Amino acid sequence: MKIKKGFILRNVGGECVVVPVGEMSKSFHGMINLNETGSFLWNFFTAEHTADEAVAALLGEYDVAEELARADVERFMETLTKNGFAE
Amino acid sequence: MIYDLADLRVLIRNEYPFTTRFCEKYLSEDQESPYDLIAAPDPEDFENEQKASAGYSLGYIENICIYRNLCLQLPSLNRMLLHAAILEADGAGYAFLGRSGTGKSTHTGLWLENVEGSYIVNGDKPVLFFDEKEVYAYGTPWMGKEGRGCKAKTPLKALVFLEQAKENTIRRLSPSETAMRLFSQILLPSDEKNADKTLMLADELVKRVPTWVLGCTISEEAVKTCYTAITGKKYQKKQ
Repeated sequence: MKIKKGFILRNVGGECVVVPVGEMSKSFHGMINLNETGSFLWNFFTAEHTADEAVAALLGEYDVAEELARADVERFMETLTKNGFAE
Repeated sequence: MIYDLADLRVLIRNEYPFTTRFCEKYLSEDQESPYDLIAAPDPEDFENEQKASAGYSLGYIENICIYRNLCLQLPSLNRMLLHAAILEADGAGYAFLGRSGTGKSTHTGLWLENVEGSYIVNGDKPVLFFDEKEVYAYGTPWMGKEGRGCKAKTPLKALVFLEQAKENTIRRLSPSETAMRLFSQILLPSDEKNADKTLMLADELVKRVPTWVLGCTISEEAVKTCYTAITGKKYQKKQ
């Protein structure tokens, strides 16, 4: 999975927000608010990666159980695909 | 014609006379020196606004589109539009925010009645400017339907989100709480450079300027509660 071009992720006052830019701003309105894990995964998936790679990356970055990391990754990937952020 | 807006020289390209009259107090005495940017209605935006503001004159619609076009270009010049009412008291500027109908006009109106020397810089759509340390708010010709405001610049010392309530209470908001409330009150450009810059400026705004949420009734007591908290001074009713 890979996140489509046309989004920027920035930190505003400690909140991680994603907003659409350019052509993307015509089809997608509003903004997305990400937590720390979400923000890490967003950055990770700006390049093409598999679920397994994302789980490994999360485990390398955070002290978290593998099942939990996998559940996070799966939920993140499903949300992004379902809402048209990723391809 | 060139206008002095938010300490910028802005060349406005309007077809209808509405904007010429609307901006006449801001007309620059110097029409010869170079300008900083051009503000002109975007054709697509003009078409959309005609649908959104059906029944209004083309001059009025063009005028809305000109300001939007101007504001979308401002972030790269360290400026941004904020949907708020700016009031100055004792040399400090305060921004009052809230969805339309929350009572920005009513609450700021109570300040004008009760706080010595207070006045409205811009009742609805001020431009903010960020230098190295401070944030300033400017009056512009665009100041909402009630037309409250003047040609002024004030250092911004607090943001106050208004909420109608049965009792008057005030509390501080953290930068992250402020960020989430702020997004509906700013204009986010679609080009990457200005969008990016807008988010940077929003980050600076929530870090630099203390923010409060005021639960308020329509009363002098609401002004007292707010004034005491945000100015740190003792409230004294205007004589």
